[in-house]
Amino acid sequence: MKFAYLIVIILFCQGLYIILTQSNLIKVVMGFNIAESALIILLVLLGYREGGTAPILDGDYTIVVDPIPQALALTAIVIGASMTALMLALIIKLHKRYGTVDINEIRRLRG
Amino acid sequence: MKKIFPLILILIFASLLSVLLLNHQVIDRSLSDHYLQSGVEETGAINLVTAILFDYRGFDTLGEATVIFGVASAIAFLVPKKRATMLAATFSVAVYQTISFILPFLGVLGLYLILYGHLSPGGGFTGGVVIATISILLTITFGPDYSEKRWRYKTKTLMESFGGMTFIFIGLIGILAGSNFLANGQALFSLGKPGDLFSGGTISLLNLATGIKVGAGLAIIFNCMIKEE
Repeated sequence: MKFAYLIVIILFCQGLYIILTQSNLIKVVMGFNIAESALIILLVLLGYREGGTAPILDGDYTIVVDPIPQALALTAIVIGASMTALMLALIIKLHKRYGTVDINEIRRLRG
Repeated sequence: MKKIFPLILILIFASLLSVLLLNHQVIDRSLSDHYLQSGVEETGAINLVTAILFDYRGFDTLGEATVIFGVASAIAFLVPKKRATMLAATFSVAVYQTISFILPFLGVLGLYLILYGHLSPGGGFTGGVVIATISILLTITFGPDYSEKRWRYKTKTLMESFGGMTFIFIGLIGILAGSNFLANGQALFSLGKPGDLFSGGTISLLNLATGIKVGAGLAIIFNCMIKEE
């Protein structure tokens, strides 16, 4: 159980490190996605119960995991996908205007 | 040297996170226990994730669908080219045959995921993504022009608006029946026998509306992303 939380921390910090250090904008979007997947793992972990099954109450169940974080995880997935699409569209726009996706180059071009 | 400072920052943040996460207390599960005990009687859906998503927190889901609508309109605004100029790649005959063979099955799978969302894993968002895959596969194999001809852009926007409006109208029926916005069992809707296909009152209707909306919205997003000068 604690080990899984460690994975969440490592994944989230990896994503954050990529966002802070990389200058290629596509890689920054990848960092956002890695951090987001860490968040989804955390949400699923928070609802976990020892020996629980999926929260579908069709008769043969004893222990069921917490359904609320799973509903929130669905929200997080949808919004993450939408934000990725929006970021990529903005990057397409930037590439059209400046001819590069390197954030340092763009900064050099405009003051 | 340039990457040392972020690394130190990240390490401090990681230690803070580990203190927060590894020593956290026992989580209060009173709300989820209530849902687990009386969720099926209150909503009529045996899939509790869908019950929470479309009944207890239906307003939340409306906001979520609005995010997809906003992103689709923002991307259509950002990339305002009328014509898709992505060149259609040529594949061997096997690819075309396989794609045209599996497309109806993909449609059936999407509809199944949407309509059985309150009984089995799935729901409006998942089924909508599967339906959007049809448009994406058509575009990749047969080219943007053919895809545009089979499933027009106008139809997609109409479908997305229709899904969103249906969601809001179903919510307003709850107010007209003398209860809250998006009321299910408290309004006129009969919950049916839990486990049947026609059960759960508004949940399956909302699933259908969300599925149409998400499928069309994601197809619009993909269609706009492939347009260029």
